[in-house]
Amino acid sequence: MNLEDYAQVSLEITGSILAGLLVAAIILIATGYNPWKGLYIMLTGGLGDLDYLLSRASFVLLTGLAFALPMLASAFNIGGEGQMYVGGIVALIASLITKNPWIAITAGAIAGAALGFITGALRAYREVNEVITAIMLNWIFYYISIFFITSYLYNPQAPYRSVSVPKGAQLGFIEIAGIKMHLIFPLALLTSFITYFLIFHTRIGYRIRVAGLSPDSARYSGINAKMTFTNSMTLGGLFGGLSGALNVIAFTYYMDQLLTSMVGMGFDGIGVALMGRDHPIGIIFSAIFFSMLLLGGQKMQIAMNVPKELTDALSGVIIISLAMPYAYKMLMSYLKIRRMMKVAGRSS
Amino acid sequence: MLGEVADLLFGALSPMIPLVLAGVGEIITEQSGVVNIGIEGVMLLSALTSGVVAYFTGSVFLGLLIGTATGLALGLLHGVLGVYLKGDQIVVGVGVNLFAYGIAVVTLVTLWGTYGSSPQLPTVPKVEIAGYPVSPLLPVSIVISIAAWYFLFYTNYGLKLRACGEDPRSAEAMGVNVNRTRLIATLIGASLAGLAGGHLSLDWVGQFTKEITAGRGFIALANVVFSKWNPLYALVGGFIFGFFDSLAIYLSITSMNPSMAYLFKTVPYVATLLVVAAFMRKARMPPSLGKPYIKE
Repeated sequence: MNLEDYAQVSLEITGSILAGLLVAAIILIATGYNPWKGLYIMLTGGLGDLDYLLSRASFVLLTGLAFALPMLASAFNIGGEGQMYVGGIVALIASLITKNPWIAITAGAIAGAALGFITGALRAYREVNEVITAIMLNWIFYYISIFFITSYLYNPQAPYRSVSVPKGAQLGFIEIAGIKMHLIFPLALLTSFITYFLIFHTRIGYRIRVAGLSPDSARYSGINAKMTFTNSMTLGGLFGGLSGALNVIAFTYYMDQLLTSMVGMGFDGIGVALMGRDHPIGIIFSAIFFSMLLLGGQKMQIAMNVPKELTDALSGVIIISLAMPYAYKMLMSYLKIRRMMKVAGRSS
Repeated sequence: MLGEVADLLFGALSPMIPLVLAGVGEIITEQSGVVNIGIEGVMLLSALTSGVVAYFTGSVFLGLLIGTATGLALGLLHGVLGVYLKGDQIVVGVGVNLFAYGIAVVTLVTLWGTYGSSPQLPTVPKVEIAGYPVSPLLPVSIVISIAAWYFLFYTNYGLKLRACGEDPRSAEAMGVNVNRTRLIATLIGASLAGLAGGHLSLDWVGQFTKEITAGRGFIALANVVFSKWNPLYALVGGFIFGFFDSLAIYLSITSMNPSMAYLFKTVPYVATLLVVAAFMRKARMPPSLGKPYIKE
């Protein structure tokens, strides 16, 4: 990337954030709340507890990777929601059977990968649009998860939630520089770095990038487009499943009846991925930013009684604004031409 | 037994309406080369706005009109961003869905102070057919799909619209304004999705809940694929998908076990997936679908 690309990227990202905040302010004014106070709490409310912020960021970091990696192969994985649910429920069941956190997490991740595989393979081999499949699977596994929580995993002591992950299978805390924190964020970071290596230094990553950048070149160089597409979706699903598994095994230790600790995070991952420019390292930062907004939104709900869904509207606007690199390019070249005309005007 | 079958078949007529309306709208949009997966959000927000208007004015007709107008407004957003600013249409659609969801819940809470559902809303008066109440929006949606079919395949404008989805460069050479045609097609599609949303809250359910659409926008997208981009087949698809919806409701209500009811709720989604997977290979989508048209 040259300097101009960086300028365009920063313009896009700041532009999208400003657009999002502006719309949030308008909604706040329209519904009769104090916009300054609302935005202030939204932007700063999440910063109090670093461990909580980073742990929550980890889930959207992983669903961000779940969207970003298939995106590199031009595949849309909007099934992060369903992959999270299935990852959580399978990890919970596996933890009850094996009493081992690592086996449980692996099982959850594989379950997510299986959903990704179905979505990708249906598109590659049966030409079923992956967007439709993903949303259908989201709903199917939303209800299947609730079915399990209210039947086999029913908790008689607390009817609104499932039984807990057994003590031995709960992933605990580590201490870094005297600060006690959940293991989730270090694990998510590690996943990001591995994904970076996978994308830029392995054959499968290379194939995914070529297939996304230029399907024709991919075909001429003998890359199996269908298999690459399916692989990218399977890997995406793996991250989604991992996100759900970590949510249950290392954070909440149970699943509630309405899946409140997960709902929406799959879609938030899309914003995270777009803002992180589909880059595993960029996504780390955008995940922390989004998590800040989400937690700030919850704080705002407590402090001002503004529904936290306001952050959904906000991230929707951010996603919309990030969908238009072409528009920014046009804006940039328009500004450049105007500057050149000004310079030309001065010299004559 | 026979009575239950009749219950199920007539039960499919209400869920069928939004799938036909939004599906036919999306067919018009997609035939012009634009894909709008934001119709889920359009339906949700329109369900809310039409509910709000009907609640405060008491006029169902005005409510449906405002619902349609809400669809038009969101369609304008999608059209300008996706057609003129060449935004990624799928990503814009995802953004619109989230945006609409957020606004709908915030409005629900500020107006009625509840997180789940609105109070009871006035509804469209039903017509009795063979002892079953049938909504007048059913014949309306049948007329709309026949009109859309005639428009797309037997009029000059329809030909031009389809040319934009087939090969925008040739369409331009024919003297068609590709971007404008695509914008208009998106507006029509989103308006029909808006009407579908109005039907959800003011005709079928009788109140607004934040999960009122429950993926129906995407089932309408599946209906587009099933019907091979032909509005007449969308009627058949709407009935089939609507039937599974009605089956799920029937099974959940008759099930004695509340957690089994959750399992039955997956029926429409599983069925949609299977039907689309079975039919998709034979479908031929508009070649330029989802690709922005950039003049050289």
